[in-house]
Amino acid sequence: MEQIFTSNQLFNIAILAITAPFLAFIFSLIFKKLAAAFGIISIGISLISSIILFLHLWKKHTLHYSFQWINIGNVKIDVGILLNDLSVIMLLLITLIALLVHIYSVEYIRNDKLKYRYFAYLSLFCFAMVCVVMADNLFILYAFWELVGFSSYLLIGFWFTKEKAVQANKKAMIMNRIGDIGFLIGIMIMVSQFHTLDIDTLFGSGSLIDSSFVKNGLWVSPFATMPEYWLSIAGFCFFSGAIAKSAQFPLHTWLPDAMEGPTAVSSLIHAATMVAAGVFLLLRISPLFNDVVLVSIATIGLFTAFMAATIALTQNDIKKVLAFSTISQLGFMVLAVGVQDNAAAIFHLITHAFFKCLLFLGAGIVIHQLHHIKEKHSLDFDEQNMDNMGGLRKLMPVTGMVFFIAAMALSGLPFTSGYLSKDAILVSVFEWADLRGGIYWLFPLMISITSWLTTFYIFRVVYKVFFGDFRLPKIFNKAKEELHIHDPNLWMTIPVIVLAVFCFGVFFAYNPLNLDSSWVYHGFNLQQHNEGLFHLMVPLYINVMSLALIFLAHLIYAKQKIAINFQATWFYKLSYNQWYFNSFYDVFLMRIVLWKAKYFYWFDRKIIDGTVHLSSDIILKFSKIANWLDRNIIDGLVNGVAFLVGRLGIWLRGMQSGKLQHYFIWMLLLFLTFMIFKIVI
Amino acid sequence: MGVLSILIFLPLVFGIIILLMPKSTSAYFKYLAVVVSLAQLIIASWLYYQFKTGVSFAGVNNLAQYQWVEKLDWIRLDVGSFGVLQIDYLLGVDGFSIGLIWLSALVMLIAVLSSWEIKTNLKGYFALFLLLDTAIIGVFCSLDLFLFYIFYELMLLPLYFLIGMWGGVRREYAAIKFFLYTLFGSIFMLLVIAGLYLSVTDPTTGNHTFNMVYAMDPANYSAGSIFSRLANAQILGFSARYVGFIIVFIAFAIKVPVFPFHTWLPDAHVEAPTPISIILAGILLKVGGYGIIRIAFGIFPDVAASLSWWVGLLGVISIIYGAMNALAQRDLKRLIAYSSVSHMGFVLLGIASLTAEGLNGAMMQMISHGFLSVMLFFIVGVIYNRVHDRDIYNFRGLANQMPKFTGFVMIAFFASLGLPGFSAFIAEAFTLIGAFSSQAINGLLPRWMAMVAAFGILLGSAYLLWTLQRMFFGTLRLKKEEWKAQLKDLNWREIITLTPLAALALILGVMPSLAFNVMSSSVNQFLMLFK
Repeated sequence: MEQIFTSNQLFNIAILAITAPFLAFIFSLIFKKLAAAFGIISIGISLISSIILFLHLWKKHTLHYSFQWINIGNVKIDVGILLNDLSVIMLLLITLIALLVHIYSVEYIRNDKLKYRYFAYLSLFCFAMVCVVMADNLFILYAFWELVGFSSYLLIGFWFTKEKAVQANKKAMIMNRIGDIGFLIGIMIMVSQFHTLDIDTLFGSGSLIDSSFVKNGLWVSPFATMPEYWLSIAGFCFFSGAIAKSAQFPLHTWLPDAMEGPTAVSSLIHAATMVAAGVFLLLRISPLFNDVVLVSIATIGLFTAFMAATIALTQNDIKKVLAFSTISQLGFMVLAVGVQDNAAAIFHLITHAFFKCLLFLGAGIVIHQLHHIKEKHSLDFDEQNMDNMGGLRKLMPVTGMVFFIAAMALSGLPFTSGYLSKDAILVSVFEWADLRGGIYWLFPLMISITSWLTTFYIFRVVYKVFFGDFRLPKIFNKAKEELHIHDPNLWMTIPVIVLAVFCFGVFFAYNPLNLDSSWVYHGFNLQQHNEGLFHLMVPLYINVMSLALIFLAHLIYAKQKIAINFQATWFYKLSYNQWYFNSFYDVFLMRIVLWKAKYFYWFDRKIIDGTVHLSSDIILKFSKIANWLDRNIIDGLVNGVAFLVGRLGIWLRGMQSGKLQHYFIWMLLLFLTFMIFKIVI
Repeated sequence: MGVLSILIFLPLVFGIIILLMPKSTSAYFKYLAVVVSLAQLIIASWLYYQFKTGVSFAGVNNLAQYQWVEKLDWIRLDVGSFGVLQIDYLLGVDGFSIGLIWLSALVMLIAVLSSWEIKTNLKGYFALFLLLDTAIIGVFCSLDLFLFYIFYELMLLPLYFLIGMWGGVRREYAAIKFFLYTLFGSIFMLLVIAGLYLSVTDPTTGNHTFNMVYAMDPANYSAGSIFSRLANAQILGFSARYVGFIIVFIAFAIKVPVFPFHTWLPDAHVEAPTPISIILAGILLKVGGYGIIRIAFGIFPDVAASLSWWVGLLGVISIIYGAMNALAQRDLKRLIAYSSVSHMGFVLLGIASLTAEGLNGAMMQMISHGFLSVMLFFIVGVIYNRVHDRDIYNFRGLANQMPKFTGFVMIAFFASLGLPGFSAFIAEAFTLIGAFSSQAINGLLPRWMAMVAAFGILLGSAYLLWTLQRMFFGTLRLKKEEWKAQLKDLNWREIITLTPLAALALILGVMPSLAFNVMSSSVNQFLMLFK
């Protein structure tokens, strides 16, 4: 394609993509009635800008502009934008999905009094997220990373009178902060070692990372030297930021709780975009990771993927299943980063964004419609519980169809986008394990199992919700016609249909069964997978087994021909209680911190302030002693003297008798005394 | 009469005028005070705007580079063999003080605006208030140690009465505690100042001098004097300069306050009326940080560098310790008081790092904490004035009841917990970056200190988010039914007070160079003392 715009114009377009959502945020708070319009128009502008940027920059060149911001000491921090292949494709993805979710939200949030806030927060989120992918240095990236977390906080707690929602947003913010402390320490290490935070200078071609090396236990850069272990620490620190944001073990428990927010928000922020920011960060800084860190990343990713998939098997809340599914799929991406197939990670990030967003929006429609029934008939039931659904395929065919497509994509069945990207990750994991051998074969084994679990749990949802009979009328003993439920209007259906279209593999590869024909994957990975055994066998055996599992799920949940009774087993309990992480964190960590805080306060009152009081008491005691001494000894002396003088006076006064004879005798005595003295001396 | 003198003595003059006015006019005192502090803020803003930056206006140890210098011979007493007792009325401003002067002027205006709650003995209140104003600006302007000390002690007197007479239930205890604590530090400091006087000579007149700028130059110390670097004199078997540094450091550490000298602060804050809490948190604590930089570190750089590990450690302990204590509180005001201990710990850590990043970060943290703590205490005041209660557990779901107020609370809380876009984030990030790079640049602080301090940010978000969730979100539930009528949303005066603070925290967060530009050359010059 020809270059229509010059670099400068492209820069202005990028700025436009940033400022549009920001202005929408401001204006939505001022002109409350027009909030939805501002949101949609602004994100539309961002989308158009993103398309232009994508067409001009994808696989062609990098756009990097920066301006001086802070310059003190050794630290120069600029603000700027860095648009390379990774950022432009992320930009396109984010703005496209955000636009669809905005449109969907118009209907979803229609009857809420504070909906202007909803759209304002959504615009704030879009602004921050667009900035995250465009930021050209780690400091700015960190700043917007936090801002994304903040807007997520606002949106999770959008219904702030709901106790669960405000507990959830607090938890999300604090858990994210734990990771962010790591991110911040990582930034400190990079500044100290390289004196810059510019991503291109640090990690680009001919970068500072390449020119630094480890020798004799020291990590040497052109500017400074540190002990070797700081290289690993730096990697772990940045990774901890990604762990929190992408809800990986052990900081994953905030994401299921975050489902207390509006479903549209869950789909945009907690499924498609924000949670993927962690993976995005890992991709941005991947040259930093050494082998220790990479293996840890792979391990965490694998464990998270497996754990979350097992939890998703037994949850009854439809959003909880999807939340754990998201955690699991993010684990796949993190695993891909760990085995150094960044192309697979970004590819899966993109395909996952579409189908997971679709799953959430589909679930949102179901919840929304059930909520209407609940309000209309003033019934009391949990509209998110799958036990209240069933058979909805016939009542709401469009929703059922798109949900089914998305489920197929999540399972990675052929012709879907998930097939390609999951295939890429699995093949890479097999090759990686093959290269290392031994215990590393656990990775492909576990990830295959996880992949099958994924298929089973999502089709469990599909069959429970859309097949069989509608269970709600039975529960309340009402006629089916009375509790009428139907597909929503176009505000909601158009976005889900668009998303469903993007679940097909042809958009990502001209031959949807062959990974090597994928333009996205090869945008990031120029070398071909070696046409080995894995490449042929892996998709085959995964999918055959998957189909069998789908059939099984059909029998269990749709036809209900097989009854399973696991409820009493330990693994059911483990799964249903989400591996007891919440209880563990509540009981151990929270209580310990709070107890420690109480202890600190006791220490402050009793010991520190106690010392102050003690010293003041001692001084008071001393002053009492001094007072006693003063009264009795010092003043005693003074009084004694006074007393003596007084007595003397009385005695002398006694002499003033007024009798002439007495005076004469005294005079005689004095005269005699004087004379005696005179003679003696 | 120079502009700094006007800035200092304007409030004093009006304080005297208020004393002379008849009691029947007492309703107008607060408006008069607003006018005075507004005038002061305008002058301070003009100074900030006119302040010249760059290497040739760095100041610190070069008197010629200070701006708006005023020098008058104040006391010249011929004391025979000791020469001439020389005390100067010496004022001047450099990059370290200009920001704090402007902050003081702003905080005083905010404090006046929140003095609407004061109902008793207005004449006494505003007279003392304006006296305090004079003393505070004087501290930041004076360059003569004797003059500095006078202003420094002059701050105590009005504060003692302001807490002791207009405070809460245990006001007398708090006032005496505050007074004695601070006096304890400063009396010993007076001895060091006397020692410095006997050691330092004015290079132009040859007399002994209290000039603190001259005291920063080792060449001005007369040979064999007690604080001379070469003489290596001893006090009770310890090196005299070490003793001098430690005494001065403790005097200011009490003001900051640094663990373990902080226990006056929660009591004083809790018992003081809102405007005095605002002044305490907004400015008084900064006097401590300013003193540590200019006097403790500036005059004893050699000792400071060798003890900076300990200073940094105290900073880290204050950060974590303050935050942990804040977590345990259920009195909102006490919680914020402890959070001040935590936030001021960053100042100490940044100073101890002796790097440009750390020092700039520390100065930024002082200014940023100035805005934010003022905002936080004002917020407590809003609730306390309405229902005379501030127990966190007695409130729930205020967001629906007071939406505007909740908006400001969220801004203040999130800015305090270091959300990017607000000044505290920049300040804390730079302090930490400075502390971390210290190992590579000058080898003073180990890297773990910065890493541990970073966890203070985490604890900060824990207690602030908990408070936010506990008090403001959820469904409305109050301890008493009648509170619902009393808890009205913000009025105009309160909005006008809070808005500029929020805006300033935001502006400095987005454009930190507004503050960094002013101080960075002074910081660089300051660091030359340690080379």
